Amino acid sequence: MKARALPGYLYDTLTRLFPHRTRTGLRAVGTPGPDAPVLVTGNYTLTVRRLTEHLAGFDCWLLVADSRGINVWCAAGGGHLTHHDVIAAIRTSGVAERVRHREVVLPQLGATGIERRAITEATGWATRWGPARLEDLPAFLARGSRIVKRWRFMRFPAWERFEMAAVWALPMTLVAGPVFGILGGRRVLAATLLQVWIVVPGLFLTVPHWPVRGRGRWVVFAGAAAAGFGLAWGVLALLGGVSGGHLILAAVASVAAVGVLAVDFAGTTPWYPSYVNSFRNTPAITLSEDRCTGAAECVQVCPRDVLAMEGRRRKVRVARPDDCIACGACIVQCPEDALHFRYPDGRVVEAATIRSTRLNMMGRRTVHVGPGGPAR
Amino acid sequence: MSSFVYMKVLESAPWRYDRGIRWLSGGHIEALWQRLAERAAGPGRRVLDIGCGTGGVALACAALGADVVGIDMNAEMLAVARSKTVAADAGGKVEWVELGAAEIEDRFAEACFDAVVSSLALSEMSPEGRRYALRVAWSRLRPGGLLVVADEVRPTDAAARLWQRTRRAPLVALTWLLTQTSTQVLDDLAGLVREAGFTQVRETRPWSSDLAIVEGVRPAEETS
Repeated sequence: MKARALPGYLYDTLTRLFPHRTRTGLRAVGTPGPDAPVLVTGNYTLTVRRLTEHLAGFDCWLLVADSRGINVWCAAGGGHLTHHDVIAAIRTSGVAERVRHREVVLPQLGATGIERRAITEATGWATRWGPARLEDLPAFLARGSRIVKRWRFMRFPAWERFEMAAVWALPMTLVAGPVFGILGGRRVLAATLLQVWIVVPGLFLTVPHWPVRGRGRWVVFAGAAAAGFGLAWGVLALLGGVSGGHLILAAVASVAAVGVLAVDFAGTTPWYPSYVNSFRNTPAITLSEDRCTGAAECVQVCPRDVLAMEGRRRKVRVARPDDCIACGACIVQCPEDALHFRYPDGRVVEAATIRSTRLNMMGRRTVHVGPGGPAR
Repeated sequence: MSSFVYMKVLESAPWRYDRGIRWLSGGHIEALWQRLAERAAGPGRRVLDIGCGTGGVALACAALGADVVGIDMNAEMLAVARSKTVAADAGGKVEWVELGAAEIEDRFAEACFDAVVSSLALSEMSPEGRRYALRVAWSRLRPGGLLVVADEVRPTDAAARLWQRTRRAPLVALTWLLTQTSTQVLDDLAGLVREAGFTQVRETRPWSSDLAIVEGVRPAEETS
């Protein structure tokens, strides 16, 4: 990365929870010719920035579709990046005049919203899934755009854990810093900020070694808040500022920091279903084996290695259901509608509903329309 | 006219959309639908509504006797539109299709519509998507056919622009919190319409300086 790009990179990273729109359309990476691969992505500034960096040395085309400034995974899940947007990008970017072939590489994490068949039907362009993570694109391109199994699964590397921790800790610092600084003075400020910047990254770095999904998480969160308080106490003791008032402030700060994180800690990792969307009613991915024809389109898009193909039987198997994050990608891609969600309360949500409804923080996966107008 | 950013929140819960948009627009939204319909629709006229959402404009057109096709990329919004029925018995009817503006050419022949309408949809597209949609609208209109579009625009005078920004800011933040997205304000809607080849382009801002209605005609004789 060039030093000049650093401020922009830092800004995009620290504010990554907010949408950042970048220019849509076709971009050249290197000096691509008419046979160079075309990689589809969304118009989230940070992604395009990282793609350009990771693809240095390669000659290819980036087709930036309109994902409303949101990253590919969230946009596809929330209905902001679908096959309609990819079709629009192919048609409006003029890519057909720049390349001889007719194939785009789609980001695998777009599979919750992008239906490949619809793109081919509308445009005649073939599609294939690229890797889940953009760091694997150079190796993918070096292999002639062929995927290796392990590139399908979400990793959570240390640098990304720090990044997500910073994304939470920074607003906490900006909001709580002045408040605790004013109420308790410099020593309380130092103690509370230090505990935030140790406890928050600590929780991210220790995943998956504690029960992120289960009820046991409350014990961990309570422990983390207590540890943060202990840390702050220690710092106050070192600085000679232990007093009743200061300790109360430190306690409030540590509980608040962990409390904010506890709202949707799982949803800010790539490994667990969001607490906010699923609450206690997390769906189980379920296969109707009689409908399964072994196309294995679902296996190709699962970012958690939940599904496995049983080659001899020509059937898919839900091999590791506990790792499912309920993203719905497999359901959307199944050509036979053989997969669906089954909720603990007995409700079943079929493929047609998953394809036509979108999730967001208030989202639900059922359409409430009854006679005489929409219900609720 | 109030800000339309909050529209994204409403879209995320389509069954709340109509109530919300009515409240947001200070009761003007039905007047807007009606005005677009009066310009575009009439008995037996074939009308295309791009980005029809929950169907406000399309149904207003059908109520005037038009034969309407409403297209939208959002299946949930269309489900709400489908649940509504055409008012009155002027002989109008509506067909709903899940389709993006860039896919119009796959479904509809050239010069097959008498009018194309679009309300608060162009601002949701990418810049090149917007230009493409207007060009496709032009090609699907019969010569002499009418385009009527309404959208949130930037006011022309500086004070109104500042007021728009101030008023939008908290709504942008709230909308982002709930939907992680936002809408955009258009700079030169009439210019875009002209650029797509329409003539007799006319812009009105009947209720407030940040909501424009732009009309244009596909010339009867091919001009370039």
